[in-house]
Amino acid sequence: MNLFFKIFLWFLAAVSLMIGIVIFINWTVQTEPVVSRWQIAVRNQMNIYADTASQIYQESGEAGLNQFLRRIRQSETISEVDLVAPDGSVWLGDSQAANYRDLATQAIASEDVEIDTQRDTSLAAKIVSIGNGKKYALVVRWDRPRPVAVFGETRLRYLRLAGLLLTALILCYALARYLSSPIGKIRHATQQLAEGTLGTRVADRLGRRNDELGKLARDFDEMAERIESLVTSQQRLSRDISHELRSPLARMNVALGIAKQKASPEVAAQLERIENEADRLNQMIGRILTLSKLESGAEDYAKEPLDLFDIVASVADDADFEARPLGKSVKLDGEGTCLVDGNEALLRSAVENVLRNAVRYTKEGTAVTVSVQKTGANVTVRINDHGGGVPEPELKNLFKPFYRIGEARERSTGGIGLGLAIADRAIAAHEGSISARNIGDGLEIEIDLKCEPNGNSV
Amino acid sequence: MNKILIIDDDEELCELVAEYLTVEGFETKAVHDGQTGLETALEGEYDMAVLDVMLPKMNGFDVLRNLRAASKLPVLMLTARGDDMERIVGLEIGADDYLAKPFNPRELVARLRAILRRTEPADTGDKSAEKLTIGDLELSRSSRTAWIDGKEVPLTSVEFDLLANLAADAGNVVRKEDLSESVLERKLSPYDRSLDMHISNLRKKLGARPDGGDRIKTIRSVGYIYTIV
Repeated sequence: MNLFFKIFLWFLAAVSLMIGIVIFINWTVQTEPVVSRWQIAVRNQMNIYADTASQIYQESGEAGLNQFLRRIRQSETISEVDLVAPDGSVWLGDSQAANYRDLATQAIASEDVEIDTQRDTSLAAKIVSIGNGKKYALVVRWDRPRPVAVFGETRLRYLRLAGLLLTALILCYALARYLSSPIGKIRHATQQLAEGTLGTRVADRLGRRNDELGKLARDFDEMAERIESLVTSQQRLSRDISHELRSPLARMNVALGIAKQKASPEVAAQLERIENEADRLNQMIGRILTLSKLESGAEDYAKEPLDLFDIVASVADDADFEARPLGKSVKLDGEGTCLVDGNEALLRSAVENVLRNAVRYTKEGTAVTVSVQKTGANVTVRINDHGGGVPEPELKNLFKPFYRIGEARERSTGGIGLGLAIADRAIAAHEGSISARNIGDGLEIEIDLKCEPNGNSV
Repeated sequence: MNKILIIDDDEELCELVAEYLTVEGFETKAVHDGQTGLETALEGEYDMAVLDVMLPKMNGFDVLRNLRAASKLPVLMLTARGDDMERIVGLEIGADDYLAKPFNPRELVARLRAILRRTEPADTGDKSAEKLTIGDLELSRSSRTAWIDGKEVPLTSVEFDLLANLAADAGNVVRKEDLSESVLERKLSPYDRSLDMHISNLRKKLGARPDGGDRIKTIRSVGYIYTIV
């Protein structure tokens, strides 16, 4: 789930919870004091009613008392008035059948106002002494007060609730957008930078923000600027190194030639050795430069439709020529045309590096097999050697620059561990993929490339 | 004695090369920037120029372009090793051959001799006819010139020799090994792309046949054919 929805839903949940809590607190906070105040009022009223009732009975007897009870009932908040005997029977009043025995007994015993709270109403009872010493309980049914609801009582309350929720929704949406959209922009810029667009800057796209996100964007820009300058200076450095290292090497080669012109035969072998080493040094510099050029991704390689099979076949020819004197060979498998959109020099060097590597490591008397296979819109080049393969955990490291596999593939076999790294970058520059696995008694390197859409026939 | 003009900004290298070439029997002169290089080359006193690509004032390509406008002086280009673009551009604008720097001086001498031999007027009894005509292509060995449809095609000495070899055996495969030995005067070595590159340039300069077919066909892992209709 993306950040926008997370923020949105969390804030929505928080707002909903807040509304719930407010309603709940309102209810409890309002209810308590309202109820206790109401109870005090009811008690006072009940005391007055009870005293008045006994006085009226003394003055005007049962008829007067009945009239008084009827007058009490006229009050809006009172729905029922009875005089109940201790045995529960109703002497005077409305509900003859009602069973108020417990409440009446209680009130008569305590001589105080007793309140029995029921669903919507409350019954209040108070002892009333009548002249002849008889004791009754005056039982009055009161409407209970209700706390004021947060959204009121009318139908308008639904509208108010909806309005509140809508406002909350809009605010949550705005907040979530405000927080997540700059992060999305920064993320997009990070991807661009990672893909090699080193000129990517993001702060301007965020507008004027002074919060952490704005600062993050400015920090990102600073970082991007530093990376850009580092990369360009590194590229300049490799170019300079190429020129600087090669100039002395070129002079050395010529000086060596002069030395050989003048040397006596006994140092010829040593001079030959120096020449070989200088040659090796030169090759290394060349490879490092090729790799650094490829890795920077800055170079724009001109691409054209090429027949991959042609390239593989001609490299395989050369490799076979090179392998024969070592008692090894290269076998080519596959036929036909596979057009790919590529740079010939790059593709050639990728195939050459992999193939020469295979020839170097395959055992004497074995053949390296190269196969070119077209499957749908892809073409796959597989190069298999019989060199004993590579320890499984090392496979993923094969394409790292200067990586050497410990015991199995030693320095004496030559190379400086850049060939496969160069192949990897060259294939990547063609949006293809290269992978390695152990098959049988050797290593298989697989190169996958996209074919030209209309490359089926020439 | 052949006079060689060396145009390279590395003065020490020039001294060493001059010393080496002197022992090998060449007369040399070195200049260290493109401008002077071009002017000196145009004096017409030299048999050949060795030209570096990276030069102050005027780079090697510009020197070559300006030189070719006025002179057929053979030129050997010194390019940075591994830079295919430099090689391709150099050959396209008319260098006779190229050598990647750092180079082996023995190799330099071999290339110089090969180019010089090729450009010296062939007056000794040539085994084949002086004029050769195949379809719309016409070759003159003595003037080392090729015409297509009567229009001259500007070729470097290597390209002319390749074409002459292929055309002499038109319709048949000429092996890469033979071409390398007779034209480049060296054994064909694996991963050496120079022959392919010269052929590719030659194809571009000649263009397609009137009927749209390829003039020079590649027979993979064998060689090339100059096709006849």
